[in-house]
Amino acid sequence: MKVILRVLRYIVIATCLIFFLFPVYWLVITAFKPSNEWFTWPPRFWPTQLTFSNFLGAKETEVFGGTTGSIENIFPYLRNSIVVGISVSLIATVISASAAYAIARYKVGGAFLAEWIISIRMLPPIVSAVPLYVIFSRLRLINTWWALILSHLVIVVPLGVWLLISFFREIPREIDEAAYVDGASTFQTFFYVIFPLSAPGLAAVAVLSLIQSWGEFLLALVLTNDARAQTLPIFLGRYITGWRVAWGPLSAAGIVTMLPVVVFAILAQRYLIRGLTFGAVKG
Amino acid sequence: MKNKRLVPWLMVLPVLVLFLSMTIYPFAFMIWSSFRQYDLSKGAETRFIGLANYFQIFSDSTAIESFKFTAKLLAVAVPTELLLGIGIAFLIRGVRGEKIIRSSLLVPMMVPAAVSGVAWKMLYNYAFGPVNWFLSLFGISKISWLGDMNYAQLGIILIDVWQWTPFVFLMIYAGLQSVPQDLIDAARVDGADWGRVFLHVEFPLLRPLILVALVLRIIDCLKTFDIVFMTTWGGPGAATHTYSFYVYKVGISFGWNIGYASALSVLLLLVSMLLVNIVFRLVRMRQQLGFGGEER
Repeated sequence: MKVILRVLRYIVIATCLIFFLFPVYWLVITAFKPSNEWFTWPPRFWPTQLTFSNFLGAKETEVFGGTTGSIENIFPYLRNSIVVGISVSLIATVISASAAYAIARYKVGGAFLAEWIISIRMLPPIVSAVPLYVIFSRLRLINTWWALILSHLVIVVPLGVWLLISFFREIPREIDEAAYVDGASTFQTFFYVIFPLSAPGLAAVAVLSLIQSWGEFLLALVLTNDARAQTLPIFLGRYITGWRVAWGPLSAAGIVTMLPVVVFAILAQRYLIRGLTFGAVKG
Repeated sequence: MKNKRLVPWLMVLPVLVLFLSMTIYPFAFMIWSSFRQYDLSKGAETRFIGLANYFQIFSDSTAIESFKFTAKLLAVAVPTELLLGIGIAFLIRGVRGEKIIRSSLLVPMMVPAAVSGVAWKMLYNYAFGPVNWFLSLFGISKISWLGDMNYAQLGIILIDVWQWTPFVFLMIYAGLQSVPQDLIDAARVDGADWGRVFLHVEFPLLRPLILVALVLRIIDCLKTFDIVFMTTWGGPGAATHTYSFYVYKVGISFGWNIGYASALSVLLLLVSMLLVNIVFRLVRMRQQLGFGGEER
């Protein structure tokens, strides 16, 4: 009886793992399948031949409508994602750190200001999408990197501020005070003493900001309209609408979009989990 | 002395300016336009029409459709995620390879929604998709997962469950780690079987965490947009319009009816703010931030 229960337990666990991992597995193998294996019945679960043509483009895929043979034309989107992601990450880290320090040490604005900043993270982005569109189009910023950088900052800064407040609160006040006694100003203390001490927290905020900006969909969709500013998720969205979709290149683009996020997310797991649950889980 | 007070304000200034211009100003604009006839497809001039935009919501059949589907997500997807997440957390506790299983279960949650939309669109493919192949093993004939009135909603719900069960699992799993082992041992010694241990020891300790998971999931459910955009685009008909998706359609994709979209948004904003308030209480946000209450 005990043995049966144990076997059953492992079977259930295996089933769960398959359910949660299979979609990703399928995306990855499809990206490496040659075009004659995209549409088969029964589906090919073990590709017999692997190819890079979905990434690099090749003669044989030209047959497929010609326009969507590979993801050679992904580069402008990749560039936009990188520029926006890194800018958001850097700016967010700096401004969140300085705000978090002022709140943690000087209680600027009281609980109201802190809670207001953090609550913004939870609000549905669609709520700001319509007014932001109107405002950015008046400023002639639609379809620019700036529109994305500014709007992504709104999404990522609350999490950064929150994480760093809890980080700074763990640094003993005596350290600040020692610096003051030695004649350092508030800014100097912040830059030369607190900044280095909170390096892991700052790194986590930088990584989390990058991840969120990289995967953000709705605002990027609304605020941009062509390859000059559109990011990778929007590239995917455009690819998928069409009468017959080229699965191989689409999956390849999916991998390019997903890979940095998954890698960074696993690296920053602890903070990501803490942040997503608002400290309900310490991670 | 004056300087000492000014510097901290200077340090929050960038964030303050960002949020005043990027949230307060848009929200004010939104509330203002929600009381006006403001439809870009009918020209740029606006005029005050009182609460008409708000009344329109209740006579708009697509809006009601989107209410219903969002409610279905809340009523079906969220409880499923909670039960599955809790179940899996208990199931893998103490199993060999626990850590690896935990890490790999995180993957769905981290994949950007646009990418999981692509993956699921392939899985659901009518003629060649693995889902229909799997069902065919049981003699079930092919289902048009994203195109059929009866299945499209289920299709979206399944994707949501796939993506967010790991989130619940993770919270509960982490919570389980912090249940003191001697408490469980003591109950065991007193002759409690695992069912009793769960009911009388573990569950009461996990309850606050489960509650936070529930509210966070509700908040996220109200945001559901990407996955609908990527897979069904709200169809067939209006069957899989989530509330967020409908606002997008009214305000941006082909409506350009800023006034009406604003009224819809105000409603969503109010509900979300209420829920955020609840979460903040549950996680004791104030204490976490070092304001009021007992200092750690």
